[in-house]
Amino acid sequence: MHTDRLIQQLAADTAPVHRLPAPWRRAAIWFAIALPYVAAVMLVHSESVTLIHSGSMPVDLSRMLVDRQFIVEEMAILATAVTAVLAAFYSVVPGTDRRILLVPLLPLTIWLFSLGEGCARDWIRLGAEGLTLRADWACLPPAMLIGIVPVVAIVIMLRRGAPIYPRATLALGALAAAALGNFALRIYHVGDVSIVLLVWHFGAVVVLSLIAGWIGRRVLNWKAVRLAAAA
Amino acid sequence: MDPTNEPNQFGILMRAAQDGDSSAYLQLLQALVPLLRRVVRQRRKFLQPADVEDLVQDILLSLHTVRATYDPDRPFLPWLLTIAYNRMADGSRRQMRRAANEVSVAEYPETFFDDATNTGLSGYGDPEALRRAIGRLPDGQRKAIEMLKLREMSLKEAASASGMSISALKVAVHRGMHNLRKALSVEA
Repeated sequence: MHTDRLIQQLAADTAPVHRLPAPWRRAAIWFAIALPYVAAVMLVHSESVTLIHSGSMPVDLSRMLVDRQFIVEEMAILATAVTAVLAAFYSVVPGTDRRILLVPLLPLTIWLFSLGEGCARDWIRLGAEGLTLRADWACLPPAMLIGIVPVVAIVIMLRRGAPIYPRATLALGALAAAALGNFALRIYHVGDVSIVLLVWHFGAVVVLSLIAGWIGRRVLNWKAVRLAAAA
Repeated sequence: MDPTNEPNQFGILMRAAQDGDSSAYLQLLQALVPLLRRVVRQRRKFLQPADVEDLVQDILLSLHTVRATYDPDRPFLPWLLTIAYNRMADGSRRQMRRAANEVSVAEYPETFFDDATNTGLSGYGDPEALRRAIGRLPDGQRKAIEMLKLREMSLKEAASASGMSISALKVAVHRGMHNLRKALSVEA
């Protein structure tokens, strides 16, 4: 087709479009969708999850507030979720400085260091026993359930943007959803040994983000965006 | 108003286009086409004009798809160029994928090593020589060749048309082909 004809056709098709809200506003919308859901899943499953850990560590607010490692980690996890979702929404706006994609690495590193420090402390305190890894398979269903709505919501929202960096964008979206889920799940691990958190929680977040990055181009591409725009 | 002289004008036109002003959109796209052609040509010097045009159209379509992502408070050109470079990179990826699965050749290679399978292209080089050779054949052989080979009649049809018997036709066409082969190989 001749370019002039294409231009005529495109210009003929200008129904007014809703401008995409600013990235921080979209991030707030996502939190407004995801947070109540995460809280609801936690409430429904709190009984079963508490039972798993109740032997040695019941959920205890007073204990949470004095556990320095718990507070540092929770802050770092929350900061990871916030910066990751912001970076994801900024990355689908053409012309944004792409250095913003790296910002979530900072809280992620703090989280990792805090876990590493915890592992070292457990080792000094408990010896080899402090580094034994146990698997709580009963934790898996609530952990997976908790991610469903945040992930679906962020994929739908990210498709309403330009797939400039599809892999990084989807990896950041997955990181945000996984971090938010972890923020909630961590509450049940006050006083738990750090190796469990490092491998199962941090490890799962990293693996999920990598998988999302791997399939990013398939989920976010120009064809998908065109379909989403036409819908 | 000539938008090409004032990059800020692009943003104003785009804001109007987002609000549904099709004449502003048309004006914007018309101003962008030469700019995009220049950008694509500068970055992809090896492309043919038709491929440049394909890329420009691809960029225009993508721009149209994500026009909701433009924020009128921000400069227009970085927004446009990010899309343009992204589509150009996608175009290169497509081309590399295609090139990896394609071999371009000036002439098709032999299909098999055997000579008999490779006569197709050079077989009947000179139709004029063939016509002359057929003309020089004895009457019976010429008629048989014309009916059975050129007009593709069946043996039965040729027999009733010429009054010759089927076996006589078979012999005549066989000898005719033999003579033609000889005549053409001498000429060549």
